[in-house]
Amino acid sequence: MKIDQIKNGAELTIALEGRLDTTTAPELEKILKETLDGVTMLTLDLADLAYLSSAGLRVLLSTQKTMAKQGEMKVRHVNGIVMDIFEVTGFSDILTIE
Amino acid sequence: MRKILTKLRSRMAVNIICAIILLLAVFGVIVSAIGYVSFTNSFKQEYSTSTYHMADTAAMRVNGDHLAAYLDGEEEEEYLQTKEYLDAYCKKMSVSLIYVILVDTSDYGRFVSVFNPVDNTVDNSEYVEWELGHKRDTTNEEYRQKYRALYEKKALYETVYRTNPTDGQHPHITTMVPVTDSAGDVAAILCVQRPVRELDEARDAYLLHIAISTFLLAVAVTVSIALYIRKQVVIPVKKASDEAARFARENTKGEELGAISKFEEISNLASSIDTMETDMVQYMENLTALAAEKERIGTELALATRIQLGMLPNIFPPFPERHEFSLYASMDPAKEVGGDFYDFFLIDDNHLCLVMADVSGKGVPAALFMMASKIILQSCAMLGRSAAEILTKTNEAICSNNQQEMFVTVWLGILEISTGKLTAANAGHEYPALKRADGRFELIKGRHGLVIGGMEGMQYKDYELQLEPGAKLFLYTDGVPEATDAEGKMFGTERMLGILNTESDAAPEKILRNMRAAVDGFVKDAEQFDDLTMLCIEYRGQAGGIDHAE
Repeated sequence: MKIDQIKNGAELTIALEGRLDTTTAPELEKILKETLDGVTMLTLDLADLAYLSSAGLRVLLSTQKTMAKQGEMKVRHVNGIVMDIFEVTGFSDILTIE
Repeated sequence: MRKILTKLRSRMAVNIICAIILLLAVFGVIVSAIGYVSFTNSFKQEYSTSTYHMADTAAMRVNGDHLAAYLDGEEEEEYLQTKEYLDAYCKKMSVSLIYVILVDTSDYGRFVSVFNPVDNTVDNSEYVEWELGHKRDTTNEEYRQKYRALYEKKALYETVYRTNPTDGQHPHITTMVPVTDSAGDVAAILCVQRPVRELDEARDAYLLHIAISTFLLAVAVTVSIALYIRKQVVIPVKKASDEAARFARENTKGEELGAISKFEEISNLASSIDTMETDMVQYMENLTALAAEKERIGTELALATRIQLGMLPNIFPPFPERHEFSLYASMDPAKEVGGDFYDFFLIDDNHLCLVMADVSGKGVPAALFMMASKIILQSCAMLGRSAAEILTKTNEAICSNNQQEMFVTVWLGILEISTGKLTAANAGHEYPALKRADGRFELIKGRHGLVIGGMEGMQYKDYELQLEPGAKLFLYTDGVPEATDAEGKMFGTERMLGILNTESDAAPEKILRNMRAAVDGFVKDAEQFDDLTMLCIEYRGQAGGIDHAE
């Protein structure tokens, strides 16, 4: 799992690469906890995300809730595999997918 | 024999003692050599001095003015008196020879004898006395030089040593002093030849003393060093090594070695062993406690597994008196306890509720959340609501108290047994696979809502399916399509449908076994990463009489 962050003022872009599952989700959760303060616009770039498990979905969900309070969260470059997962789990209804 | 030697050679004490003995032997040889040389020199010095005094005393009795007269046969009375005195002196002083000679001073190559007392008893020799006027050549260069030195008054006396004569004579020294006339000039030379048997005897005794004392010293030093080393090094090191060996064997704390040697290095070794033993024993105790703790947790987890499995309906067939449907389900958690679950129960005589759910995460947290979800779902279902209402209510209940932000995906269906009408709702769960009476298994992509616990106020929607007799419904969690092999490849829904359709007419239990075998065959040695939970129901309709050859 590779996590790239680009911060531009109150805008934060995080690009995820690899598998976001039980093993790697806590890592992303920790990073988000540390960097989300003061961020009003979070963009998650999932172009190179190969797999997303329920543990990963949990992190997305809690991030979505946090961001709903302090700004906005967008998910972009969602590939086919991840899109299937979003649709099956109903996440496509609550996430802003570009 | 060789073995014993090798063993001895590897012993520290043996090596040290051998080195000391060797060193002392070298020391003994050096001391003996120095003693030999210095003893010989001082003996020679002492011997020549005392012989000089003898010779000088004798020379004073010789009248230097009359020597030529003696040779001419004059002053006979005085000559005889002197000769008698010298003979007696020779015997008294235990010297072999005394001779008074007039040396030809042109080249010191010849001389004439005047007096020559001989005492052959002293050295067991066979000298024959020279007569008055006996002439002789001096061929030996050393004698000639010494005669010259005396005549030229360059020396008070001279000594020639023959300590190792090669001409068959016994070892001796010859000390020569000048005989002076009344004018103070050198008139003749008086020589005294004295055996040096005493030198050899004294020297042998001296060497023997040195040898014996060196040997005794060597023995004493060796023994004391050996004892010292044994006490301060060998025994402590052996103690330490025995203790280390014992500890390696028994793994129990032994008696403290403490300060076993004067030497810091060895004492440090001993205290290191003591510390190591204490630490190791402590470590082993901790490890044992840890293992016991782990065992306790293991026991509790095993119990939790049994409780969890016991909560799910697990007696098959579950409703032996109902012939309208046949049902089989299984759950294999990846860890001791899992977050997946299936459930089914009769709401009333005509309504069977089917549940397939998957809690986010794994292990104990997921299991706890799963238990709560299962109970809430069942409670809501028993109120006779529709599938969507049950999910909506459950979501409300869970969202109201969900600090850990866990969620659960649920597919819930209510089968009207009499008609085969299935009302279902899906909260973020995998699409079920349906096989219609004469068709193949296909995914039913019904309406979808968000996972339960995801967001408050979610409204779920029902969708309906009509099951004809012979239809089968296969429910599963993501453990099936997302089973991953060692190369990271996923099982996938296509493969899953393929397996379902290879033996689609089989009974539900057989279908589940086939799927399990296919997943195991696909995953092979890779660790089971996710829970694997499946349920299959076959609807037989009101007739219900169709029995499978199981």
